[in-house]
Amino acid sequence: MTTILFILFAGLAIGCAIGVVSQSNPLYCAISLIGVFIALASLYVMLAAPFIAAVQVIVYAGAIMVLVIFVIMLLNVEHLEPRRKRMKWLVPAAIGMAAILVGETAFILYSVQTAPGRIPGNVSNVGLTSSIGTGLFTKYLLPFEVTSILLLMAIVGAMSLARRTSILSPTARVVPGVQVLPVDFLNPAAGDDNRPVEADTTAEAARLMGVRFQSDPEKRE
Amino acid sequence: MEPQLSWYLALSAILFTIGAAGVIIKRNVIAMFMCIELMLNAVNLTFIAFSSFFQDVTGQLFVFIVMTVAAAEAAVGLGIIIAIFRNRESLDVDDASILKL
Repeated sequence: MTTILFILFAGLAIGCAIGVVSQSNPLYCAISLIGVFIALASLYVMLAAPFIAAVQVIVYAGAIMVLVIFVIMLLNVEHLEPRRKRMKWLVPAAIGMAAILVGETAFILYSVQTAPGRIPGNVSNVGLTSSIGTGLFTKYLLPFEVTSILLLMAIVGAMSLARRTSILSPTARVVPGVQVLPVDFLNPAAGDDNRPVEADTTAEAARLMGVRFQSDPEKRE
Repeated sequence: MEPQLSWYLALSAILFTIGAAGVIIKRNVIAMFMCIELMLNAVNLTFIAFSSFFQDVTGQLFVFIVMTVAAAEAAVGLGIIIAIFRNRESLDVDDASILKL
């Protein structure tokens, strides 16, 4: 029974993985990748790791893939660009690497069979949440803390990457009135200079920002 | 016949190689990113299989940490992808082969 389930989920994982590589539309790639994650979560349940299986579904198939699909739909590149001329030696290199994969798989399947299998014993509590938590907060506390620092760095990095750049878009407008702007907003080379620059009139503010300003409201569309 | 440890290792090797081939083949930067996620999951399968067959929880702890690293990678990587698209109007990695803007 478990063998049938293993073959089912392994076939699903491999099929979806090939789908990830072979699809040209990134959205179909993402959906195939979700299939791989679900199949792997099922395999984790078979391997007596229910907590990791749940985290796999929630964090991977839930959070990370939603983020990826969000970005795909945000950028929404419709036109497929023509495939460019590739380097000639890539095809023999790919064939060689595929041969290495086949050799590795055969070696694992027929030579590692002598390795010790499942150690007989009573029902273990290895995969339970409490044993994972105990290990995480006692023996492996330092990797846990390093991981939290890494997450903090990722938050700061993502914020600094997603920050608005100082370059104004061509459709930027100047609102009438006195404008007070930071120096680095007007001139990106000024760096972190946050001193304000005041403009007495709207036309002067438009000149400072490099935006076309029309004083007559009738001419604006 | 119960599934052996070697079956899981072979499946993991196949998935990892498909992911590595995808990183080489693909030109879309988002598709390359997803192939990297596939490789991370193949390694996770190896960890879980060893953890289950040797009755040791350490493998599952490291899977937990790998997932955290993958989440951090997703946040920063997608930010970089959006920044590249904003500058170059393209997701093709060949267009981003020069680091200067």
